[in-house]
Amino acid sequence: MDDLEGKKILVIQTHGVDTPTRTYSPLYYAVAAAAMEMEVMVWFTMNGTNQLKKGEAEKVCLVPGSGVTLKSMLEMAIDNEVELKVCQQSLTLWDMKPEDLIDGVGILGATSIIDLALNYDHVMYF
Amino acid sequence: MAHEKVNNCVVFTNLHYSVKDNTWIRVNDDDTVTIGMTDVAQSLAGPCLHAKAKKVGVARKKGRPIATVESGKWVGPVKSPVTGEIVAINEDLANNAKLLNTSPYNDGWIVKMKPADLAADMVDLVTGDAAVEAYRAKIEADGVTCTHIEGTDEY
Repeated sequence: MDDLEGKKILVIQTHGVDTPTRTYSPLYYAVAAAAMEMEVMVWFTMNGTNQLKKGEAEKVCLVPGSGVTLKSMLEMAIDNEVELKVCQQSLTLWDMKPEDLIDGVGILGATSIIDLALNYDHVMYF
Repeated sequence: MAHEKVNNCVVFTNLHYSVKDNTWIRVNDDDTVTIGMTDVAQSLAGPCLHAKAKKVGVARKKGRPIATVESGKWVGPVKSPVTGEIVAINEDLANNAKLLNTSPYNDGWIVKMKPADLAADMVDLVTGDAAVEAYRAKIEADGVTCTHIEGTDEY
């Protein structure tokens, strides 16, 4: 595999705490890409938005006793400089305000996804 | 090799450590250094599934990734404790990433590098009793107790 350093990966996450088994993997892939020195953003939209509400991610633990929760996965992503962005309009749909978000998440308008998708090297959809 | 155990975490006193990044270096006779991850790192990662090192010939600044390690619950970079060029990678890890767990200080070495200025980089690394004490402080602050999988080297 060619060295992927510097490539830009956009991960679009549309699933949230209501489908917990679909929450870990996109973050894991994002962190792996960041560990390989790619520039990575995870864009949360649709149901993906709800995992970013304070108090929600820590409730998701797919492997009891592992010490890993969705909260720790999100923290791992932030620690590895993965950018986390949420769709502003999705916030409204989920009746969330900016102050309801966990730390480390930026807000972008919905149409930002178009620019992002065009300017990133690859987009992964979940 | 002389070693100490802190909360079941092994620290060899002849190695030089980046405690912050959980990596070690062994200074070799040919002016290269061997680099790996510590017992604390393997315990935090859990059983490793994949390890991918940067290629031979790649230059790395201190703090930049030299490898990516994946386990079932964690994925992340192994950050270089020195600035230099990678001169060898451990090909065994491609088929058996668990060497990082069972033998983090020997068979689980990750890369060898030729440092650009080892003396300068050593300033930020600790060895001997200082390494043991630095790890004791970190382990106690982070509440770490190391676990070892079957097949781990006898310490």
